[in-house]
Amino acid sequence: MKISLNWLKQYVNIENIPLDDLLNKLTLSGLEVEDVYDESSKLKNIVVGFVKEKKKHPNADKLSVCIVSTGNEEFQVVCGAPNVEAGQKVIFAKIGAVIPNGNYTISKAKLRGVESFGMLCSESELELSDDHSGLKILDPSLQEGTPVSDALGLNDVLLEIGITPNRPDALSHYGVARDISAIYDLELKFPEIRISESDQVISKLAEIEIEDTVNCPRYSSRVVTGVKIKESPVWLKESLRKIGLRPISNVVDVTNFVMHELGQPLHAFDLDMLAGRKIIVKSTSVESTFKTLDSKDRKLAPGTLMICDSQKPVAIAGVMGGENSEVSQNTTNILIESAYFNPSGIRKTSKYLSLGTDASYRFERGTDPRGTLLAANRAAQLIAQLGDGQIAKGVIDIYPAIIKDKLITLRISRIEKILGYNVPKESIHQILQRLGIKIQNQSSSELQLSVPPFRPDLEREIDIIEEIARIYGYDNIPTVEKIYSTLAKKYDESAFLDNLKNTAVSLGFYEMINNPLQSAPSASLTGNEIALLNPQSQDMAFLRTSLISGALEVVSRNIKHGEKNLMLFEIGNVFNKNNSDSISSFNDFNEKTKFILIITGNEREKEWNFPQTPFDFYSLKGLVNSFNSKFLLDNVLNDSYYFTQNRIFDYSFDKKIGNDVIGIGGKISQQVLKQFDINQDVYCFEYDVSLLQTALPSGKRHYTDLLKFPKVLRDFAFIFDKSVTYSQVIEHINNSSSGLLKSVKIFDLFESDSLGPDKKSMAFALEFYDIDKTLTEEEIDKEFNKLIVSVSDNFNAKLRGN
Amino acid sequence: MILEQITFVSGEFDNDISSVNSLKELEDLRIKYLSRNGIVSTLFEKLKEVPKEDKPAIGNKLNALRTSITDNFNIVKAKLEQKGSTTKLSIDLSLPGYQRQIGSKHILTQTVDEIKSIFKGMGFSTFEGPELESDYYNFEALNFAPDHPARDMQDTYFVSKDFLLRTHTSPVQVRVMKKYKPPIRAIMPGRVYRSEAVSARSYCMFHQVEGLVIDTDITFAELKGTLVFFAKQFYGNDLKYRFRASFFPFTEPSAEMDITCYICGGKGCKICKHTGWLEILGCGMVDPNVLINCGIDPDLYSGYAFGMGIERTAMLKYNIQDIRIFFENDFRFLKQF
Repeated sequence: MKISLNWLKQYVNIENIPLDDLLNKLTLSGLEVEDVYDESSKLKNIVVGFVKEKKKHPNADKLSVCIVSTGNEEFQVVCGAPNVEAGQKVIFAKIGAVIPNGNYTISKAKLRGVESFGMLCSESELELSDDHSGLKILDPSLQEGTPVSDALGLNDVLLEIGITPNRPDALSHYGVARDISAIYDLELKFPEIRISESDQVISKLAEIEIEDTVNCPRYSSRVVTGVKIKESPVWLKESLRKIGLRPISNVVDVTNFVMHELGQPLHAFDLDMLAGRKIIVKSTSVESTFKTLDSKDRKLAPGTLMICDSQKPVAIAGVMGGENSEVSQNTTNILIESAYFNPSGIRKTSKYLSLGTDASYRFERGTDPRGTLLAANRAAQLIAQLGDGQIAKGVIDIYPAIIKDKLITLRISRIEKILGYNVPKESIHQILQRLGIKIQNQSSSELQLSVPPFRPDLEREIDIIEEIARIYGYDNIPTVEKIYSTLAKKYDESAFLDNLKNTAVSLGFYEMINNPLQSAPSASLTGNEIALLNPQSQDMAFLRTSLISGALEVVSRNIKHGEKNLMLFEIGNVFNKNNSDSISSFNDFNEKTKFILIITGNEREKEWNFPQTPFDFYSLKGLVNSFNSKFLLDNVLNDSYYFTQNRIFDYSFDKKIGNDVIGIGGKISQQVLKQFDINQDVYCFEYDVSLLQTALPSGKRHYTDLLKFPKVLRDFAFIFDKSVTYSQVIEHINNSSSGLLKSVKIFDLFESDSLGPDKKSMAFALEFYDIDKTLTEEEIDKEFNKLIVSVSDNFNAKLRGN
Repeated sequence: MILEQITFVSGEFDNDISSVNSLKELEDLRIKYLSRNGIVSTLFEKLKEVPKEDKPAIGNKLNALRTSITDNFNIVKAKLEQKGSTTKLSIDLSLPGYQRQIGSKHILTQTVDEIKSIFKGMGFSTFEGPELESDYYNFEALNFAPDHPARDMQDTYFVSKDFLLRTHTSPVQVRVMKKYKPPIRAIMPGRVYRSEAVSARSYCMFHQVEGLVIDTDITFAELKGTLVFFAKQFYGNDLKYRFRASFFPFTEPSAEMDITCYICGGKGCKICKHTGWLEILGCGMVDPNVLINCGIDPDLYSGYAFGMGIERTAMLKYNIQDIRIFFENDFRFLKQF
């Protein structure tokens, strides 16, 4: 909201307050000054000039050459305006001036061979109005050489203030002035309203009725007759222009002015356009359309509060007037509407119509139900004054149920209890009174307060404490550092995730964070996706169902940048619908935390002494198993392998505990790679974090004694049928060995013609030891030979070598 | 006969050792003369065949030969070793080593970790909560009245009438208060969503860390103390700060905390919009309505809450101009942190 300091000065005397201090205190009290605009600075080097002489330009019919005086200097200026004449006082932009409209700097120029040292300006060039018909001719009494900002009262400072939604009372100059009066303990002056009424009685001219008193608790009105619709005077146009409003006509400008002065939105009806000269405030019962004064047809929901005449709707209450009763050039009799509408009703209508106006913005936050009549009087006074009209005798003020002050008890002790500081009693009293809160009764421990309805945000004791704190100044409340020692149990719900992340990083993975909002093809790839009702775009219209698509998008983008060797991980939540179509409870969907590892390209790039090593399926398996080892899950999880292609993978494996799949991964299928425009192999594995966490061995970890006796290593190699798998052999060796065999590892695998077409050789390294003694050669030979026989027999395999 | 051999061997050794140029060649000589089957040992073997009366003399000669050869050998060996250490080897040590990739956490995670560790040091627990929330936890329980313009402060993505992507991590406050009894000292990091057009300055999701403290006798003064302590730890001890009145439906009184802009030192620049101040967090005393909604008696307990945006913090700290780069996961970006 824009606030003009010159305008503000009418209600509170801020002449002696340094600007910086004012801005700072306003900001600290909750009226955040977001921007400051010093108008005088923009008109530097632009002064009142006197046209001493005007001659025709020797080489151009439409140009003239003027001598312009600024009192002590004279300048030759080439001017194109048709209305320039000698003897005029004009706006003269000297060399170096920046013209606001277009933001260009005036420099010395030569126009058709004649030198020009400056420019004479129109109103539009200074952005004073849209009038670009010719030069702005100034009041002849103005002193030449005077800065135009002073001459035209353009030395104002404008503030852009951010008003939080709880403060409708501050949405006006008077409202901001009230806060300033509280901050600086200054007197607040209400604008003087003088009404001189004609003999015509209002009740003879108009009639008002409220049908829906819930949504319209008060409707006040004044009638002004014989009004001439014309342009507003400069002071009014300037006032509106400064706060960003476009002047329209005297009547409309007055309603806007009063709204920004007092915070009460007003509407001016052409009384003669109201059928039956009657206003009825009622809600619609069926869907209907209505043409607002911006000439747009609006579709209205049933239950929309409307202002109607005796035949038809004439305005959407609190939002926008209708075209059919708008003030026009021919209007002479005005009915001023100054009403109080129920905030939530206006908000519903405004939301439904996607139509927000200055009026609806204020009504939906809550205007002052007590202020309607004052605002109507203020507007009537100004309309009569500026449009030569007569104010009809009396008012119409329908106010069936008076809205009372809220009574709040403030326990003095609670102030210190909440703030940690005892605000002095005098300050409390002064702040409350300046804010318009009346102290009805007081004792040593309590204040009985009466809060007027222009502060809908003040309902409870705590709200009053906040008012005291913010005006007294948060900076005046001490800063207390306390050190806590408490035996209360500490929780860390992110500890496991942190552990996972640290482990991934230690393996060389980089963390990515992806947007969980995805396109339909990405989200539907891996699950039953949930749609947003109000997406910003189709690219971000669904919630991810796994981390796979997001990761593939990242891989694809990086490969395009030339980053082809990637080890990435992400931990994040994914969302899947359960069977139901709509989501009305937490049972209708599931949200799970997943952890993905994804690799592509080379594990190791070619180096000067080392060949490149591409990532493959076994790289992925190895990395996954490194995780499982770190979390002591080696012997807890079972692997299953899937050789056939599914939706995501060409081939894959999963890790199960019992029947629960805690993770699944493999080689991404060509089809999916194509979908993501990737042309190199990609492997990924995705864990369900909560299942992984529940699989962790419980209980304390214990130290294991270090081995004191030597390990003995033996190798053997066999020729197997090709159909025999590694895991079958390992399982067999493990099952048929005694406890002396502690580890077995495959270290060679090959196939060749010499072995035969259906044969392969696998070589294993075996490690034997006993934690209690040194093993003898005989013990090992016995064990080793037993395994050789067992493997040979079981797989019909031939021992190689020996 | 053997005496001649001794003389011959002695001469041959002198000849051999004079032409030795490397430790390798020297080692060959050691094997030739001094090893178990070397020439010297062979001569000692022949001592058996020498007549008894000649043995002492010949034995002395042999011992002298062995000593002489060994001494000479050691002298040359020492010389060669010394020479070897100053001679350039034939390998190029300037060739690059085989470097390994060390991964890293995302810069946003690193920023959250840093914040978490400061609060952990002050005795705060850490809690997490769901991102797909109900209207009740995200708004209603936090004192957002239905149809109140305060709801416009947070543009919300809905998936149904009553379910939405949380717009702040505050619903976790409600969950924690409902589950645990005071005293509560907790922070709640997490991801939140706002239905905003994506641009350099705003994204449809971002991360927050919120904090909540509930106990008897918790005051605004203490809220200030805790947050000033945090800010000094995180941004540096010499910072200036201010608390501004503000509005959040779930706190009363509410405030925003600013620190002096550390880009311009408070003089005013583009980043601080020429105010000299940077807003770093929102905070306030927990609204009694929120306490009541969570089953906590506001006359017995009071508390404060605060929340900060992680992206904004990281952008300021690492001079990042475009928020979108966090979520593009360009490897070249990830590798910088």
